[in-house]
Amino acid sequence: MILEILKSNNAKILRHDEKVTVALIPNDKLRTTSELLFKAGCYYATGAGVDERLLGVGFSVYHIFNCEAEGRYIIIKAVASNLRIPSITPIISGANWAEREVMDMLGIFFDEHPEPLRLILPDDWPEGVYPLRKDFHYNERPPRVEFKQKREKKPGVIEVPVGPYHPALHEPEVFELCVKGEEIVGAVYRGFHVHRGMEKLAEGRMTINQIPFLAERICGICGYTHNCAYVQAIEDAAKIEVPERALYIRTILLELERVHSHMLWLGVAFHLLGFESGFMHTWRIRETFMDLAELLTGNRKTYGMNLIGGVRRDIDENKKKRLLEILDKTKKDIREIFDNATQMRELINRMKGIGVLSKKEGREIGVVGPTARGSDIDTDVRRDHPYAAYGDLEFKVPVYKDGDVLSRFLVRYEEVLESIWLIEQALDQLPPGDILNEDYELPEYTICVGATEAPRGEDVHFAIMGEGNRVYRWHPRAPTYNNLPAVPIMLKGEKLADAPIIIASIDPCFSCTDHIVIVDGEKVYRCSLDNYLGGL
Amino acid sequence: MSIIFIAVNLAFALIISPLIDGFERKIRARLQNRQGPSILQTWWDLIKLFKRPTIEPQDSVKPLYKLAPYITFTSILTAYLIIPTLLPASTNFIGDLIVVVYLLGLATLCFVIGAFSSGNAYAQIGSNRDVSLFMSEELLLAFIVGTIAVIGKSLSLDRLFPLPFRISSVLALLLLFLVIYVASTRLPFDIAEAEPEIIEGPLIEYSGKHLGLLKYSIFLKRLLLYSLLLDFIIPIQNPIRLICYLIGTIILSVIYSTFEAYYGRFRIDQAIEILKRASIVALIVWMIAIVGW
Repeated sequence: MILEILKSNNAKILRHDEKVTVALIPNDKLRTTSELLFKAGCYYATGAGVDERLLGVGFSVYHIFNCEAEGRYIIIKAVASNLRIPSITPIISGANWAEREVMDMLGIFFDEHPEPLRLILPDDWPEGVYPLRKDFHYNERPPRVEFKQKREKKPGVIEVPVGPYHPALHEPEVFELCVKGEEIVGAVYRGFHVHRGMEKLAEGRMTINQIPFLAERICGICGYTHNCAYVQAIEDAAKIEVPERALYIRTILLELERVHSHMLWLGVAFHLLGFESGFMHTWRIRETFMDLAELLTGNRKTYGMNLIGGVRRDIDENKKKRLLEILDKTKKDIREIFDNATQMRELINRMKGIGVLSKKEGREIGVVGPTARGSDIDTDVRRDHPYAAYGDLEFKVPVYKDGDVLSRFLVRYEEVLESIWLIEQALDQLPPGDILNEDYELPEYTICVGATEAPRGEDVHFAIMGEGNRVYRWHPRAPTYNNLPAVPIMLKGEKLADAPIIIASIDPCFSCTDHIVIVDGEKVYRCSLDNYLGGL
Repeated sequence: MSIIFIAVNLAFALIISPLIDGFERKIRARLQNRQGPSILQTWWDLIKLFKRPTIEPQDSVKPLYKLAPYITFTSILTAYLIIPTLLPASTNFIGDLIVVVYLLGLATLCFVIGAFSSGNAYAQIGSNRDVSLFMSEELLLAFIVGTIAVIGKSLSLDRLFPLPFRISSVLALLLLFLVIYVASTRLPFDIAEAEPEIIEGPLIEYSGKHLGLLKYSIFLKRLLLYSLLLDFIIPIQNPIRLICYLIGTIILSVIYSTFEAYYGRFRIDQAIEILKRASIVALIVWMIAIVGW
């Protein structure tokens, strides 16, 4: 069906196999194709621009769609003519940020884009300098330009900034809330304050097997899943057979990470609702999972376990036994605290019916993960695009219909228990054998995509292999990138008192989202980056 | 003699009220599976604040902003002259019950005015909430004062301590117990200062000495309200009153901090709804008192 849509629009199929379809679409058919794909149930995952002048093509844009029904990713490629390309944002609002990102980073202009404003580059970045073009060196630093901020005051409303320093959100981002009395009448998100230039760094300076460690540092909470997504993309391109045992070990670690991340979120949610005891006890239990990660990988966080073709450490019988013992104990602890919490009426009342995101709006924006599953969108990469060992294991995907904060809370709570069940299954079925396959050849200029279900939703890593152990282009997309545009919708019409819990309800991870370009202060950049690379 | 006693009472309140907060912090920490800071920590915090420089925000109405903490502090301190704490001594006059209520009101009012004059959006939202909470709390308090005055047939506190043991007096004291909980800005009623929502609301712009004074007033107010409740219960001429009083204070702080540890924060509308219902109950209690039960 998808193939028919593509073919009827004069697409040239570049790659078509079980997991991925890549097609080159003529510019005039781009919009109709995207619309047909969206209507066929494929939601917009992400988009990436590539400077392909070295390959003799020019500038091109890749739109990546997640087709759950067929269990494949569809990548449609379009080549910009004279640096212009039709925008698909008027049809799929989820493409808004991705297209603006390409505009900022590569200087490709999208015709008829509804708000062609800067998204990622800071206000003091000069015009006409595009960091992701190949002729921009990775440690080049353009001069600052002066800028004037224009702000209009609206009468009758108080503007309340939530961030960049706010005790509820410990990361640099701003939600500007317009408040009348206690009611929020409008909300604007301003983000991308902390850019780390990871894409450029990976393309300019790192080899294929170094990038997993960089990818893991995209996030301080769900780093391993980024690492997995990248590794899977490369394995997909090079058609590497990963040993079964390695896949199972990856699954165990991914689920361990999900439990710790969800426990962290649940604790934060309690804290934001003022239920401090719940917060403290949840984080006490989370500590156990950090210890388990240390037992398996040597690190509490940032496991550093993956290489292309497998994992670096094995799980022996001793560790397996201890893992199962500790899991058994903590399961009871988790149940106890959440049974108590869900019986607290005033806690539940503060989450019920608040921050509602409807299914339709969610689909248009392309929300992922627990945010989507709380809004009756039945999506889960683990089930729809099986990776690691998920194909062999049995698990439930909790879906709630109300679309409010409580639904997202309950989805996460159920997922914690499902994850523990998954770890137990994976440990039980752990197959014997090798853990690393180093016998592979890397192809050149292959388009590939890797996706994992991070604790916050679908992680998509798009990559094009380069020459000699390098990547030509690597574009990671964190789940919060897709979830954040939904927050202003959830906030509208709610009480100010509920704003922190609504913002937190998507489990935002701003550092994941803001990974794009090098704009750090000189000193910070020099010492931290050089030390880091020296260590590799 | 009486003046010396009152001075002792004041000194007791000034020294002990931060210690009580330190004690409550310890209890909450133990309930939350934490070690918790030392009982003296609140004192160290206050001393540190008094050493720090104070900064006035640019947009503030400076005279009001600077004056507010002092008036808040002194009005609470004045109430200590009327309500006996450690020793059974106080300045009494007809209608002092009403004066206490007004002094507490004055403290809240100054707190709010200071916050409003700081010009900060969070502070304004916080004071908005504070005022709406105060209004609904005041209604409840008015009914309780009415009930107590009817039971004791007086508006002078020395005639009211202790209240005679009757159904209506027990109910009135239970309601007073609730009002004290609300008035001492604790979870789930710390809506005006909600840290994750509006960053301590009214206190956001205050720093140094001013912040210290406002925090100190909150601790003093809590002890004052404890004393008020205990005075209604413990017979004033009892030889072991002092011991009863100290034990009572500890029991009250244990109960209050346990409640605080196990509650999430209310939204302002939920809190007002609860106080409204309590006011209706208070009205019924007042009628019971009039009947003479």
